[in-house]
Amino acid sequence: MSDPTTASIGPLLRTKLYAPRVTRELVDRPRLAGHVGRPALLLVSAPAGFGKSTLLAQLLSGGTGSSVAWLSLDAGDSDPATYWAYVLAALRTAVPGLGVQAQDLLDSRGAPITSVLTSLLNELAASQEEVVLVLDDYHVIHDPAIHEAMTFLVDHLPPQLRLVVATRSDPPLSLPRLRARGELVEVRAADLRFTEQETSAYFDAMGLSLSAPEVSTLEDRTEGWAAALQLAALSLQDRADTAGFIDGFAGDDRHVVDYLVEEVVHRQPEAVRDFLLRTSVLPRLSGPLADAVTGRTDGRAMLATLDRDNLFLVPLDDQRRWYRYHHLFADMLQARLLDELPGETPELHRRASAWHEQDGDIGAAIEHALAAGDAERAAGLVEAVRPAMTKERREAQLRRWMEALPDEVYARRPVLANGYVGALMSTGETRGAEPRLRLAEHWVERAGTTPSGELPDGLLVASQDEWHRLPGWVKIHRAGLALMAGDVAATMQHAQDAIAVLQAGDDLGHGAATALMGLARWRTGDVAGAEAAYAETIRRFELVGHVADILGCAVTLADLQLAQGRLTDAERTYRDALALTVRPPATTVRGTPDMHVGLSEILNERGDLDGAREQLRLAQALGDHLGLPKHPHRRRIAEAAILTADGDLDGALTLLDEAEQVYDLDFSPDARPLGAIRARVWIRQGRPDLALGWAEARDLSVQDEPGYLREFEHVTLARALLAQGDDRAAGLLERLLAAAETGGRCGSVLEIAALLALARQRTGDQDAATAALARALELAEPEGYARIFTDEGPAMESLLGVAARRGLAPAYVARLRRAPGRAPAEPQLPGALVDPLSDRELDVLRLLASELNGPEIARHLVVSLNTVRTHTKNIYAKLGVGSRRAAVRRGEQLGLLRR
Amino acid sequence: MSDAVTYEIRIQGRLGDRWAAWFDGMEIVATDDGTTLIRGRIADQAALHGLIQKVRDLGLPLLSVTRTDTPTPTGPTS
Repeated sequence: MSDPTTASIGPLLRTKLYAPRVTRELVDRPRLAGHVGRPALLLVSAPAGFGKSTLLAQLLSGGTGSSVAWLSLDAGDSDPATYWAYVLAALRTAVPGLGVQAQDLLDSRGAPITSVLTSLLNELAASQEEVVLVLDDYHVIHDPAIHEAMTFLVDHLPPQLRLVVATRSDPPLSLPRLRARGELVEVRAADLRFTEQETSAYFDAMGLSLSAPEVSTLEDRTEGWAAALQLAALSLQDRADTAGFIDGFAGDDRHVVDYLVEEVVHRQPEAVRDFLLRTSVLPRLSGPLADAVTGRTDGRAMLATLDRDNLFLVPLDDQRRWYRYHHLFADMLQARLLDELPGETPELHRRASAWHEQDGDIGAAIEHALAAGDAERAAGLVEAVRPAMTKERREAQLRRWMEALPDEVYARRPVLANGYVGALMSTGETRGAEPRLRLAEHWVERAGTTPSGELPDGLLVASQDEWHRLPGWVKIHRAGLALMAGDVAATMQHAQDAIAVLQAGDDLGHGAATALMGLARWRTGDVAGAEAAYAETIRRFELVGHVADILGCAVTLADLQLAQGRLTDAERTYRDALALTVRPPATTVRGTPDMHVGLSEILNERGDLDGAREQLRLAQALGDHLGLPKHPHRRRIAEAAILTADGDLDGALTLLDEAEQVYDLDFSPDARPLGAIRARVWIRQGRPDLALGWAEARDLSVQDEPGYLREFEHVTLARALLAQGDDRAAGLLERLLAAAETGGRCGSVLEIAALLALARQRTGDQDAATAALARALELAEPEGYARIFTDEGPAMESLLGVAARRGLAPAYVARLRRAPGRAPAEPQLPGALVDPLSDRELDVLRLLASELNGPEIARHLVVSLNTVRTHTKNIYAKLGVGSRRAAVRRGEQLGLLRR
Repeated sequence: MSDAVTYEIRIQGRLGDRWAAWFDGMEIVATDDGTTLIRGRIADQAALHGLIQKVRDLGLPLLSVTRTDTPTPTGPTS
């Protein structure tokens, strides 16, 4: 969605990654350096001006053997996307090329931050590099999501990465736990206070020779506060009456820094004073920016002077182009500005905003416009930058700006109002969306009555293009809200309306609208319609290069194709999507492991277990953290399917339990609920009673009206009944088959038909059984389905035998009859009991089926008669029978007598 | 309806009147014991925390935060 008329947010500021240099007049503080060591987390927590950053610069300049990644945070970084982008950029200054995959993930739509961090931590853990990440001014971070992710990072730090956090308030990072583990070292205000010795050394270094009592007085009055000592030194420079100053200072009870700033500022020439006050509103400043704000032309020279005179100016680059004032000093100056030049502050911010807008840093322009109280200006800028920020997934920052804007500005800005709805919905929220959306709709309706091409009176838009896109997007958001409210009919209607009014070239819009339409159709069971919609969505997203979105849609599209019994098409869907991920520039696209899981399921369905395992291995090698939200769930289900095929049913159940824990709800219908999958494993274990209990809890019954959303569950119920020898299965299957045929869900049809064949064979209706089997084979053969037949045991084997004799799909049936997938299914049959028979009991049961009497069996097995009786009793109990004949019959049913 | 109530924030050290504008028009009262009171109506809890943050950013030792009135009762009280 590149649009030349909309602004971009501007690149990352290199100045924030600039590690402060150690300057000349610093005092070595070995007592602190010795204290610090090399903990996983070094927390430097103290008020402003205590010399936190300086200490760190000193500690880290000494060649620690680690590279240093420095990040100076500011208020604008309290947004997860911005914050982590800067963290990665900072790490790359230390280790070039680090975190490429993490960056890809951060850039892809909606990847959870734990995925980004997992990728980063894995990479660090495997590397030889040691990195110290310094986060300066962490107290500006208020977003709980950042703290949470930081806690995750701290909890998983590899030895290669150490963290240093400098802050004015203790961060919420589970410090007690770290303390307990001895992984935290703290440097606090008390540690940072200058001792008398250090104070003395400091004044010496500044070229001031003070007497011991004078040093002691200053140390006492400043309480070792670094900023105050520095200000005192400045005040003392070139002053004849040192003693007079110290006496005056000591005898005053004013706030120590306030007093000293006053002293320092008052000693400056008027031009410097004025410059300091007016530029104090700037979080960072350069010569040209200062000129724009002060209306003067001496910005660059003034900064050089201040820098030389050490007036609390912190350089932000080696070229000395950008600076900031020391925070404490800036606050002191701003308080004076407000007092001495009341009413000027907004204008200064407005000028800074205009300069930054020109310079292309729209984020800074917005911050200054908000600080100026110029809501209209801020609104225009936010509106202009919204498309780019949405694309960069910085909706959290966008929302914060939008929330800072008063309601009135939205009244004339429908594009902004609609953008607000989009930002809300992207974070899964609907509260507050309705009035804004209605406002946008109102303008769209009004525009309908104005002559084409003209903007309605009173309308404000940052971009004509965005205004022309608005009618479609308003409808898309309507459809989205309807879907979130569970109203399928309204979703469909609004999505249709959206498609009707969207501009032809708005591919993102068309993609979003057709996806909503597809979801709505899917919910009504119209799988063919939903498939067509999703195919269109993918086509549109390909045009705008949204590969991560395409992978998400591919899973849905493949599901829809599988529902129609089209394994080959589903496989192509996954393979095409995979091909997109390796197209240059090759990046790691979130959702790639999902494609492998999908392929694994398809290959397994075809009986290609090795292929299925290989795909699963590829997915695991990429890692869950690269998957879409549902990936951890689906991966485990695919793995359970392979274990099931291997005969490890208990292992499969364990995985299904795990899958249940990681289920992530989204808007696609859950057509194959986990409960039903588990019930199917129970049935294979010979525990159909458990499956029936599940069905009862799910309120499933043979009388139910067949419907798409419960189809998989109903088929599972039919399987349970069939396993119990309950003839009601046949009737249920007949009705399910008719519904699936009508709905065009051939994937269901072939499974139901295969089961119906088994049911009809049980009831002795061989012709009906063969007819049903013929239907199943007809659909399954071209797609290469295997499991659907080979997993069904001896009854299906004998049915396939009949099919072979009657010449049904001969080549295919022959292949199925010798399918390797069948072999693992067989050992399961003895387990078709809650408590399977032991090998010895099976031996006894087989002899019970013979003509031998008890003593003969005992002799045959070389055991005592009593032992045989004990085995027999156990066999009867396990089979739930009371006689030898019944036991043999039951054993036959369960396929226990063949060897 | 406003949740505004009056708060008194006491800090160590003396601040001049000139700080009133910085503290959004709050009253600045220097006391004899070398402490300063920052006093005034505060819109809500968020505003109070914002104010305390400003105190923190100046490195002012915070001594106490006291609410000096109660919100207007919404109904008759006994």
